[in-house]
Amino acid sequence: MITIDVRLPLEHFDLAVAAELRGRAVGLLGPSGSGKTSLLEAIAGLRRGVTGRIVREGEVLLDSAKGVRLPPERRRVGYVPQESLLFPHLSVEENVRYAMRGGSEEVFRDAVEILEIVPLLPRAPATLSGGERQRVALARAIASRPRLLLLDEPLAGVDVALRGRIVPYLLRIRDELAIPFLYVTHNTGEAALLLEEGLWLERGRLRATGPIGRVLEESARVGGDSGAVIENLFAGTLEELARDGVRGFRVGDARLFVPDPGHTGRGVYAVAPSDVLLAAAALPAVSARNVLEGMVSSARDAGGLRLVSVEASGLAWTVSLTAAAAAELGLEPGRRVWLAVKAAAFRPLS
Amino acid sequence: MSADLSIVLLTLRVALAATLVVLPVGVLAAWWLARWRGPGRSLVETMLALPLVLPPTAVGLLLLELLRPAGAIGRLLSGLNLEVLFTWKAAAIASAVMAFPLMVRPVRTAFEEADPRLTSLARSLGDGPIRAFRRIALPLAWRGILAGTVLAFARAVGEFGATILIAGSIPGRTQTLALAIFHRTQIGQDAEALRLVAITVAIAFVALWSTELLRTRRSRRLRGEP
Repeated sequence: MITIDVRLPLEHFDLAVAAELRGRAVGLLGPSGSGKTSLLEAIAGLRRGVTGRIVREGEVLLDSAKGVRLPPERRRVGYVPQESLLFPHLSVEENVRYAMRGGSEEVFRDAVEILEIVPLLPRAPATLSGGERQRVALARAIASRPRLLLLDEPLAGVDVALRGRIVPYLLRIRDELAIPFLYVTHNTGEAALLLEEGLWLERGRLRATGPIGRVLEESARVGGDSGAVIENLFAGTLEELARDGVRGFRVGDARLFVPDPGHTGRGVYAVAPSDVLLAAAALPAVSARNVLEGMVSSARDAGGLRLVSVEASGLAWTVSLTAAAAAELGLEPGRRVWLAVKAAAFRPLS
Repeated sequence: MSADLSIVLLTLRVALAATLVVLPVGVLAAWWLARWRGPGRSLVETMLALPLVLPPTAVGLLLLELLRPAGAIGRLLSGLNLEVLFTWKAAAIASAVMAFPLMVRPVRTAFEEADPRLTSLARSLGDGPIRAFRRIALPLAWRGILAGTVLAFARAVGEFGATILIAGSIPGRTQTLALAIFHRTQIGQDAEALRLVAITVAIAFVALWSTELLRTRRSRRLRGEP
């Protein structure tokens, strides 16, 4: 558990955040310029003028009232900034090994294998693509054996295909290495997929906190993040069952059908909110391979469209449709609906 | 000819000593100037730049005041039984003081150009402030440090005005290339003076050229080229 109660004067407002984080994967959400990066830097100890308390698993990182202020090098925090900030004068391998004074070879192997950067090791950072740079930055942070990872939009500025390639690595960091992380993102799909808990920050203040689903809904209700990217992301297991270019894909209790990638095992897929159809009655016969029964949990307007959140088969979906269509179907919270998605609408991300 | 050689060796010794003194002090001063945002910065900056614009003889006279046996530093030196004035050490001190601003400027620019967040990141990866400086800030500023070092060395080789005031122009003891050239023209040995000029040009050329070679090779490595 991490207890945060910090204050930090910023240029246009004061950052004042008090929260208890229990989840292993916590999202830091909110519009641009709401103080998310400043909060990460305050936790990492890279900002002057931070007051308050930060306690991680009983270890006090900051207690300004008692004059405790651990320097950044003693906080055991792995920080991955938005621009990855690799050391340009060192090779990829030297970057990853940077924090490994006396660290075991095993930690290094794990880091470079999980992020699949072994072939990149001898190269100079200047020769890497955006996605490669982010993977190296993640490996460098992991190899420092942090007790907490701070990830500042690690997927921003990375194009869709590369972003999809990194998401599975983040899942492995969360599930296999079990390093808790704080994750800044503007992508609701990413948030729903990767995170357990969320903090919604606006002008330096906490507006919502709790389980990620509730925070996303709450944030949508208060106007949301105009820069947010909304999509449905699902991580699950590809099954043996495959026919006619379509393969079974198990996510929790739900079985979906997705384009066959030609293998089984782990998979991550994205569906655009506009690619999901909603029906107010059971669909007797429909060509779409995925038909799920569910219930509307919330609905809101966004840029002339109506965004409807639906719980179906234990999964949270966001569906966009015109306001007129939404009104016609009576899509208000509590309404029973059926949703239909063509297998081809699932974009593989891994 | 052997007189020429001893002049060259003395000049190199003076210039190298001056450069070695100026290098660490200049790098630290440059770092401070690049990072300090509090009060007093512009004042210190101006004071550090003064030797650049003052007549070298004025600087020399000030140094003489400080170093003479009754002067502030001279007393300390005689307490340590160190004789400095009118020795090669005085020539090195004069050169170091005159070279100092030339060292600081490019190094400071280099520190300012490097992203300060890289050093912060090194801190969060477990480096203390000194270690992060040595592993990140210093190597990233190598271009400026190299430029500053060469400039300081070249300036030290050519130092004249301040040197003649505190070291004199004693053949075989403090007469460096610059002083010897002047001395020879004064006594009508123009051909001999020109020979020294040729040597000076050669030293400056080698210093600048080898720097350039080193610079391009390292830049290529940074870009990931062989």
